Amino acid sequence: MLLVRAVVRPEKKDDVLLELSKAGFHAATVVDVVGRGKQKGIKIGGVVYDEIPKSLIMVAVRDEDKKDVIDVILRAAKTGEKGAYGDGKIFVGPVEEAYTISSGATGL
Amino acid sequence: MKEIIAFIRMNKTGVTKKALVEVGVAGFTASKVLGRGKLVDSPETIAERKAKLMNMAVDDISEPVETEKLVTGFLDGSRLFPRRMFTILAQDDEVPKIVEAIMQANRTDNRVGDGKILVLPLLDAVRVRTGEFGETAL
Repeated sequence: MLLVRAVVRPEKKDDVLLELSKAGFHAATVVDVVGRGKQKGIKIGGVVYDEIPKSLIMVAVRDEDKKDVIDVILRAAKTGEKGAYGDGKIFVGPVEEAYTISSGATGL
Repeated sequence: MKEIIAFIRMNKTGVTKKALVEVGVAGFTASKVLGRGKLVDSPETIAERKAKLMNMAVDDISEPVETEKLVTGFLDGSRLFPRRMFTILAQDDEVPKIVEAIMQANRTDNRVGDGKILVLPLLDAVRVRTGEFGETAL
């Protein structure tokens, strides 16, 4: 299993969640975060904003679904045709075990 | 070393903290998150809870249809609802008992929405105060 963490624009959050649900990845966790990327934030006038609000979306998926879920997020989180700075990043990490609390069942 | 991420009900924070202390790991990080789980495919699973919640609704300030939509949305998992996310760092051999303790503390009769626990591998940890690495840093 894998844990896919995507940092996306807050205004794209609903799109991403909708598309994920349509693609069969309904379960997800959303955290509001602030952060900066490679561009060191944005400079507007003389002020540098380096705590830019983003949404962190976490989805646990089976190994074979990795490509699908990443494709869905990439498509839904991109702004415009070419994308723009600030559209976000996706991180993929391993999950060794998963449990459902109500039944104690293992797996997703 | 392992990182245990548990998504639990907001009102179970207290018992979970107590359960963790009892099992011998006091340290954790918790935050408020929004999430949703698997869609509930059979309405019978949530029928009982739905009836209970609908009874609690005040009819004269909201439309019954709207209330029903909201309640159903909350119960079948089609909308996001608040949950507490616990992150616990643990040694490999402590993981089973921590997972068991969290499951025992959070199990309810509501059939859905009790949460999930994920166990992730953790490569290294550093204690900021001393600068030590690895297992001793936890």
